Amino acid sequence: MNTKIFKYAAAALMAISLTACEDWMDTESYTESNTANFPTSIKDADMLVTAIYANLNHAASQPISSYYLISEIASDDRFGGATIEDPSMVAIDHMMVSTDTQFDFLWKIHYRGIYRANTAIEGITRLLETANDKELANQLLGESYFLRAYYYYELAEMFGGVPLITTTTEEINAPRAEADVVYAQIGSDLVNAISLMSNKKYNEYVEAGHATKWAAEALLARVFLFYTGFYQKESMPLADGKSLSKNEVISYVDDCVQNSGHSLVGDFRNLWTYTNEYTVNDYAYTKGVTGIDGNPLLWAGNSNAEEVFAVKFMNFCGYTYPYQEGYSNYYVPFFGFKGTNGGENTFPFGNGNGFGPVVPDLWDEWLSSEPNDLRRQASILRIEDEMDMSQFIASSVTGQYEETGLYGKKMMPVLSYVAYQKQGTWVNSIFWAAYPGFDKANNYGMTQWGGHFQDLMIIRFADVLLMQSELKDDAEGMNKVRARAGLPAVNYSLEALQRERRHELCFEGLRWGDIRRWHIAETALKSQDNTTMQNAGKTVVQRDGRYQARYTATNGFFPVPLAQIQLSNGVLTQNPGWESADARYARWDFE
Amino acid sequence: MYFSSLLRKNCPLRAVFIPYIGFYPPNFERMNLFSIFAAGFSILTKNKMIKNFKGTALLMGICLMSGLAYSSSAWASGSHHAMSVEQQKQTVKGVVNDNYGSVIGASVIEKGNPTNGVITDFDGNFEISVNPGATIVVSYIGYKSQEIAINGQTELNILLESDAQDLEEVVVVGYGVQKKKLVTGATVQVKGDDIAKLNTTSALTALQGQTPGVNITASNGQPGEGFKVNIRGLGTIGDSEPLYVIDGVAGGDINTLNPADIETIDVLKDAASAAIYGSRAANGVILVTTKQGKSGKISISYDGYVGVQNAYKMPQLLSAQQMMALTDESRYMEGIPVLDWKTQLGERVYNMVQNGWQGSNFLEEIRVKNAITHNHALNLAGGTDLSKFSAGFSYTKQDGIFGKPVASTYNRYTARLNSSHVLIKGKEHDILRFGENLTFYYSTKTGIAQVMNGYNDIQNAIDAMPILPIYNVNGGLYSQADKEADGWIYSNEEPNPIMAMVNETGNNLNRSYGLNATAYMDFEPIKGLRYHTSFSYKNTSTTDRSLTVPYTASTNKTSDSYTVIQSSSVGHKIAFENTLTYIMPTMGKWNLEFIIGQSFEKTTIGEDLSVKNSALNGTQLPTMQGDMDHAWITNTANALNGTTISGKPWPDWSLLSFFGRWNVNYNEKYMATFIIRADGSSNFARGHRWGTFPSVSAGWVISSEKFMEKTRSWLDFLKLRASWGKNGNQNISNFQYLSPVAFDPSSVYNFGQTILNTTGTKNIGAYATTLANEDVTWETSQQLDLGIDARFINGRLGLAFDWYNKTTKDWLLQAPILDTAGTGAPFINGGDVENKGFEVAFSWNDQIGNDFRYGVNLNLSYNKNEVKRIANPEGIIHGDAGVLSKTSNEFYRAQVGYPIGYFWGYQTAGIFQDQTDIDNWIAAGNGLATSNPRPGDIIYVDANHDGKIDENDKTMIGDPNPDFRLGFGLNMNYKGFDFGLTATGAFGHQIYFGYRKNTTYALDRWHGEGTSNRYGVAVLSDDVTNLNLENADYLRIQNITLGYDFKQLVPKMPFSKARLYVSAQNLFTFTSYKGLDPEVGFGGNNLYGQGNSWMTGVDLGSYPSPRTFLVGINLSY
Repeated sequence: MNTKIFKYAAAALMAISLTACEDWMDTESYTESNTANFPTSIKDADMLVTAIYANLNHAASQPISSYYLISEIASDDRFGGATIEDPSMVAIDHMMVSTDTQFDFLWKIHYRGIYRANTAIEGITRLLETANDKELANQLLGESYFLRAYYYYELAEMFGGVPLITTTTEEINAPRAEADVVYAQIGSDLVNAISLMSNKKYNEYVEAGHATKWAAEALLARVFLFYTGFYQKESMPLADGKSLSKNEVISYVDDCVQNSGHSLVGDFRNLWTYTNEYTVNDYAYTKGVTGIDGNPLLWAGNSNAEEVFAVKFMNFCGYTYPYQEGYSNYYVPFFGFKGTNGGENTFPFGNGNGFGPVVPDLWDEWLSSEPNDLRRQASILRIEDEMDMSQFIASSVTGQYEETGLYGKKMMPVLSYVAYQKQGTWVNSIFWAAYPGFDKANNYGMTQWGGHFQDLMIIRFADVLLMQSELKDDAEGMNKVRARAGLPAVNYSLEALQRERRHELCFEGLRWGDIRRWHIAETALKSQDNTTMQNAGKTVVQRDGRYQARYTATNGFFPVPLAQIQLSNGVLTQNPGWESADARYARWDFE
Repeated sequence: MYFSSLLRKNCPLRAVFIPYIGFYPPNFERMNLFSIFAAGFSILTKNKMIKNFKGTALLMGICLMSGLAYSSSAWASGSHHAMSVEQQKQTVKGVVNDNYGSVIGASVIEKGNPTNGVITDFDGNFEISVNPGATIVVSYIGYKSQEIAINGQTELNILLESDAQDLEEVVVVGYGVQKKKLVTGATVQVKGDDIAKLNTTSALTALQGQTPGVNITASNGQPGEGFKVNIRGLGTIGDSEPLYVIDGVAGGDINTLNPADIETIDVLKDAASAAIYGSRAANGVILVTTKQGKSGKISISYDGYVGVQNAYKMPQLLSAQQMMALTDESRYMEGIPVLDWKTQLGERVYNMVQNGWQGSNFLEEIRVKNAITHNHALNLAGGTDLSKFSAGFSYTKQDGIFGKPVASTYNRYTARLNSSHVLIKGKEHDILRFGENLTFYYSTKTGIAQVMNGYNDIQNAIDAMPILPIYNVNGGLYSQADKEADGWIYSNEEPNPIMAMVNETGNNLNRSYGLNATAYMDFEPIKGLRYHTSFSYKNTSTTDRSLTVPYTASTNKTSDSYTVIQSSSVGHKIAFENTLTYIMPTMGKWNLEFIIGQSFEKTTIGEDLSVKNSALNGTQLPTMQGDMDHAWITNTANALNGTTISGKPWPDWSLLSFFGRWNVNYNEKYMATFIIRADGSSNFARGHRWGTFPSVSAGWVISSEKFMEKTRSWLDFLKLRASWGKNGNQNISNFQYLSPVAFDPSSVYNFGQTILNTTGTKNIGAYATTLANEDVTWETSQQLDLGIDARFINGRLGLAFDWYNKTTKDWLLQAPILDTAGTGAPFINGGDVENKGFEVAFSWNDQIGNDFRYGVNLNLSYNKNEVKRIANPEGIIHGDAGVLSKTSNEFYRAQVGYPIGYFWGYQTAGIFQDQTDIDNWIAAGNGLATSNPRPGDIIYVDANHDGKIDENDKTMIGDPNPDFRLGFGLNMNYKGFDFGLTATGAFGHQIYFGYRKNTTYALDRWHGEGTSNRYGVAVLSDDVTNLNLENADYLRIQNITLGYDFKQLVPKMPFSKARLYVSAQNLFTFTSYKGLDPEVGFGGNNLYGQGNSWMTGVDLGSYPSPRTFLVGINLSY
């Protein structure tokens, strides 16, 4: 009896209280918004777009799983390098992997960028009608489309068809779309971006670092050239079922060349950090040299007129947040000298991980085909020409693999005496202390890694001019580039253009895509064989790098992360050539 | 005392054992006490007469005590009289019985003459000579003692009454207490005295081994570090810590209490018992009750000890010569030229090595010998029937055994005041009572880094190169400048770890303080009906400071500025509770008790504030002097450099609950308890907030049944228990039901023409951190528990057994989603985990004669953890990468079909000794880890036999979760002496042993055919194999204490107790584990210092627990 009364009473009490007290449990976050109430203004939209750009930095935080470094190493211009403890890049050079997780980060970070772009596109589209500043809203929307296209392009080039996710709400366990479908989306996004973004000159409407209409036109040309070249098509499909003809692309490129405001900087060497004000007069190669433009050499700096699109860095490298390392241009120290090289003895180049030794064939071919090209020595450091070899610490000590005596100057850590004097030790970047505004305290004392702020050039105006030539089969753009290098004009031929691109753009992450789309990859890669090199002091001759077999097996596509395939329950499929035992690198055995 | 010698000296053991047990153990003379008990138990299993067993136990006990004689008419005829009997005395004969028959082994002693005593024989008979007019005292454990005046009697017939007192004791069950014998769930109680007497800094250390099923692992041995506690296995990869309820207030920190303040700790292990705490009980509940006032004279007690601590084990690190030889050897094996060490090290260091310098031992250098620990606790209690109070004050200090000259240290001050006051007193009971509990703590802690790979000073000291000098020629720490001066070029990025520790990682100070205040009122208008209301306020505050001083230890490990981080955090929580209890007057044999209640808890706005700033060397203010005393933001603030600032509120949270419990029993023979609790948590969206958690449990005291009368001579108490319940876990961060948009410096971008941007705050991005899941709701765990509680032989032997099956359903987890999602996985209710196991605890308490009392307890628990479901296609929660090194891969996971946090990696199968091994391996269709295998390579098992070694061949290679845990305790009291020993152990688990390569174990490598079949030549990848794991079974003698109460010696002293004791903690650890300490709670942190609470057993260089010798006193007045 008692129990019954008790139960009824308890039930009644609860029923009353539950409804009344629901309000007590509503809570509010005072430091975060949520997708249900954000964005509400253009300022909010700007923050959503900023986060897509931030992902470019994040993508740079793990160079060994990045589009740029992998493209560089896979190409015929660089070997893997590093040491025996660090075999992943030697593997990539031979189209192998030393670990199944090699591409996990790359895959993930690209989709992260895509999700952020999707969030921004949806948010800004919602705002568009009510926005006061329609021009800015359209610009931001265009940038979001540009960045989504950029991320998808890198994925498509590396993996072929990939899952195509274009909203924040759709099923994420999507099968890989056909390559045509992915390229159609990229094309449409870029066309959209071009039509949405401002017509003003590159430096007149947005701050440096933002994508512009001109960058979208240039990227569209690059995508078009890769797609039509690699897949041997005449035109490129668009998402709405239409297609994009070569002539339309030419008009975009012409527009970019004529109206963007971009131009070539006065001297090729002024593009690279070793001509910075704190180094240029202490470096024998640049000291007192007058440039092609008649002025003393001097680094044109970040965000110069030639920079169409670049990833920017800042003084915010660290370990507090995931991927925060990517706020420093982490690629630079990867190419630095191994071990204790990188001080006085190797001035002005600093040390690092010893990745990507330059293939001697590049130097040799260049020397014979264009002996007077200043860009060869401006781009490649031949240590026996520039260093006191008795002071250079040999690979037997540093453990450097695939040492060829050649390094890429464009992306080496650069030293300066000013920084040295301020710090009392050879620090790896001109930015360390040399630039007064810099404070390294933010960077966890990461003297080697934290202070690299040179922009990572994604699209350079010289590239645009060369694409213009290639698309139009005329030498006009190409000869502008040659003239800036102090070289005479030539007539257009594909071979001449191919050579020009290799010389002008080496070490900028473009060669791999070029040799694939021109279908010269197998022969080009083969040029790396019969190279004499040092593996931690042991002289070896690479007789057969198995480049041809691996390229044939993979067609130049890399493996989809195994973990993702497993997680997808088999919805994702692996690329050919990556499931056999010979895809696995374990030990240097190419003699 | 050495038992076997006693046995030999005093006992005709063959004579004892052969007739009564029926066998004679061949090695009896060498058997220890423990095996004798084992032999005793084996008798039970052989169905020998119990009477024999009792006799045997008795005789053994007698023989163990050299000072006591055995005197029994039955036995004496064939034996001896050890005691001389004076002729003029009177002889008294008698028989001692209880309700069921004769009592064997009862002690009969002449009062005031403790040396004159005998023990009853197998028929309960005794014969004693006493002085005329004497009084004899008849006592036996489990019975009330009786005093009988002889008054000329010569024949006595004595009936002893059972004294099953501890079954009548109450245990705390949450919102109330219950008689132990009526408890129907699986609970365990540990008395505060049993915790305090182990003299540990934290009560949790003392609980280890005393509470079967409660798994306590120290994160590491650094003073003031935390513990990982789980009850009956990991039920979740979220928060798996039990709920602590201190004096009725949920959510406290037991480490903020001095063990001397604790009255009892009760652990609710099964779901039915814990259900009264509903939504937070899925991981079990630990109820802590602090000491309450007692009426009577004010008692004052002081407990204090001082001890010295030392590392009990040091690794054998490689010498300079060994390290150089191994380096050369591995280069040689790779076909790379060996190093010219003279060029590498520079002339000076090279010559030192040539002249026999063995190299540096950095770990030895930072070791602190004889580190001090001391503790002082003062407790007062007293009062009247109307007003009672209890107060406690304590100070504890524990220095660390590593980290010299910036060694870790921990200080804790506590103050407690509990009082209660009767405002209205009725005839039979208190009608209105008011009371309060107040505790305050303040602690300070400095420590060396134990955070993650590379940010771990023990690891850095072990990993440092022995060829690197510690000191330069001037006696300063050997720095990069010294390297350069010496011409040292080898591995220039490797720093002198002590320099980094002294200037950076060791400079920190954490202070925490908090106040817990509860005011309550009990109103009992009629006896048995009580309304209880309480309001609690809890404050938790911490401040942290750390300092980095300019230094250059290597090219990589350097700082050019003074960096100060100063942060503080203050949180507040309130709780308001109301309960109504009705204990009905007994109706016939029915006893009923109800409780209904309500509780509301809320964190109100708490605040975090953190500032970091740097001053470049030379720009700091003169008041920045490079030590912790001057480590204040202001001293760097003349220029803002590398500044980060954050100030944010504590997450808002509230929990609203209603609950009820109904206890019923019939004649204390059949019991049942029903509990229901409903909780609403702000962590979930409307519509998903409320969870209801029911439980039911029942008990049956079989021994009270009529048909059990036959067994009463030996079985005092037998209770069968069964329970089932459902609990919840709501412990996720708030707002997971939305897709939160964060604006934090993790996503910033440097737009603009400027070359540099010196802040991380320009152009902050906004991004959705996780996908939303509006449906996210409670995790529930269901548990079935079957148990037995039994007492045998007049309560001397106790047995408790529990079997359980705990299933966590709707496991709250972030199941990995495809990367195509582009952001963090949402929390989903997406998995099941099962923990199955049993716990068994034996206890034996007895006394021999009047003065010698002893007790032995042994408990064993077994748990098997298995993930049953994870709601994504692969069924895996991945562990972190980057834990073991910057580039290391995932090496542990939670996966369907496996225990949570198992080690995942390659299995190896020895070493290729020669080319034939390789050829055979390939011929068998196995894959290879290397494309051109050589002798000396480790053989990786091609698990799926597909001809290649890849991720698919990785498998379970170990499990950090022990299968078995063991606790053992022995205590003895003789007159004023007391002796205690406790031991704990864990078995069946593995630990990742992270520093083998720097120890002399590295010399056990393959270096030619037949030299090793375990460790190969250089390993290429960072992949973990079974070779990285070590079995970590251990048995630790945790505490040995010997004390003496001088009150016995000087009865007239003003103290009621004056005990002096010596104690050894952590005296021996029996283990085959090669690392410093087999207790490793650390589970590894990733590059960002974040770890997974569900992982343990990753030893990268874990700060070991010290071995402590201490001396202390307990004074009571």
